[in-house]
Amino acid sequence: MREEEKHMDKHEYFSSYNRQLHLLGKIMLCVSFAAMIAFSFVAGAIYDVAPDLGGFLSGLLQVGIIYYPVALVEFLVYAPMLGVGGSYLAFLTGNLTNLKIPCAMNAREIAGAKTGTPENEIISTISVATSAIITTAILSVGVMLMTPLQPLLSSEVLKPAFENVVPALFGAFGLKYYLKSPKIALAPFVVMTLLCIFVPAVQSNTSIAIIPAGLMCIGIGVLLDKMGKLGDI
Amino acid sequence: MNYLSQVNASSLYLMVGCIIGFVLLMCLFFLVRSYKAGIAIGMDKKILQKTIRNSAVFTILPSVGILVGVIALSGALGAPLSWMRLSVVGALQYELNVADIAAKAIGLSGLNVSEMSVGAFTTVSLVMTVGILGGGICCIFFLGRYLRKLGGKKKSADTPAADTPAADTPAAAPKKGSNIGNIAMVAMFIGLCTAYISSYIGAFANDASNFLPLLTAAVAALVMFIFTLLSKKPRFKWVENFDVALSMLIAMAAAVIAGGAI
Repeated sequence: MREEEKHMDKHEYFSSYNRQLHLLGKIMLCVSFAAMIAFSFVAGAIYDVAPDLGGFLSGLLQVGIIYYPVALVEFLVYAPMLGVGGSYLAFLTGNLTNLKIPCAMNAREIAGAKTGTPENEIISTISVATSAIITTAILSVGVMLMTPLQPLLSSEVLKPAFENVVPALFGAFGLKYYLKSPKIALAPFVVMTLLCIFVPAVQSNTSIAIIPAGLMCIGIGVLLDKMGKLGDI
Repeated sequence: MNYLSQVNASSLYLMVGCIIGFVLLMCLFFLVRSYKAGIAIGMDKKILQKTIRNSAVFTILPSVGILVGVIALSGALGAPLSWMRLSVVGALQYELNVADIAAKAIGLSGLNVSEMSVGAFTTVSLVMTVGILGGGICCIFFLGRYLRKLGGKKKSADTPAADTPAADTPAAAPKKGSNIGNIAMVAMFIGLCTAYISSYIGAFANDASNFLPLLTAAVAALVMFIFTLLSKKPRFKWVENFDVALSMLIAMAAAVIAGGAI
């Protein structure tokens, strides 16, 4: 009975914590978006110019047609991975696929938290918040020191390193997760590799390629689980 | 006053500084609030601290990569906007591409600093900002409902009370009773890695001069494999806290060596 009460308390506490994050998250996103949009107008007002409405609409149409569907897919896929707090923060601070998602997955794994649990949500929020703070700090210091840093960071010698941060990230993570569940990874890996070789347009549209690759992996994972052949992952 | 001086004016730095300061404050609030919530529901302090430490270490290298993106963007759009774009909602892969589309939409030949004016800058920055808000807008309107709906579907499979392991529990310790949510999340992440890795193989197969991304990914995978084996020995268990960051660092060093050799 006492254990049950403790369990209820924990869930009540967590629900109220989540309600607070929802409210704050929405306010935070609205304020930040309004401020970012205002930036363009205020910057123009300083020099007596304004954004060109026709150019804006034409540009937005071209950008939106690609990026709004991608954003919707990212939301549907990543929000369950990140939970409430992690989602608000990650969609506010950006760099999802190349930083926030791998960072949250890594933290979740190290902490041993399980999807859909309060622990997982807390770990993911802490991880995304820490990551965003560090990125902001590095970018801020980098911008302040841009003049002395520019020759170093733009040097031809170091260029291959900075151009290949994302391959390094997914090489390391790919191995880690392929070892974790080779049965899920094998067929999608072969199919996607063949697709990238024979349909070169897929290579440059990774944001879109994630959808078939992810769906294949989820389908195989669920199927193997139902057949009892997946084991623990 | 020329274009670059105008878009690097201190007033723009001040505006961007305020926006980023607000975002930073929110991140700190979420961090402290979640840490306290973790303690309140009985999570181990050591795990929470380990998460902070690990996430911080993990973030350093990708952030330096993002900083290089800020520098690349600042050549045509000035430092303040580039700083804001990659600190708030931005994405490294998105910004240059969208800035180029926006510049063409207003009649320029592309994101070319010699053709830019402050008027063009305000339009390009507005397209870049509004164009990337999709994910955030979804969060504002649908996050609560969407997560509740998903939570409802898998509620029966989850057992939240018993999930926090001891501080020294192995990271990948297998657990009994995987649920669909867990499988879907791991599978989706495998799909994400697959999409990227297969794109490097495809790029190399179509043009052998594109070998660096594949080589870098392969070295990172090899080093990660060695670390995975090492971390199974009690003496080297600490490696698992830094395995991704170290694998990336070594792979990026390999890219420098290979890049220098050609």
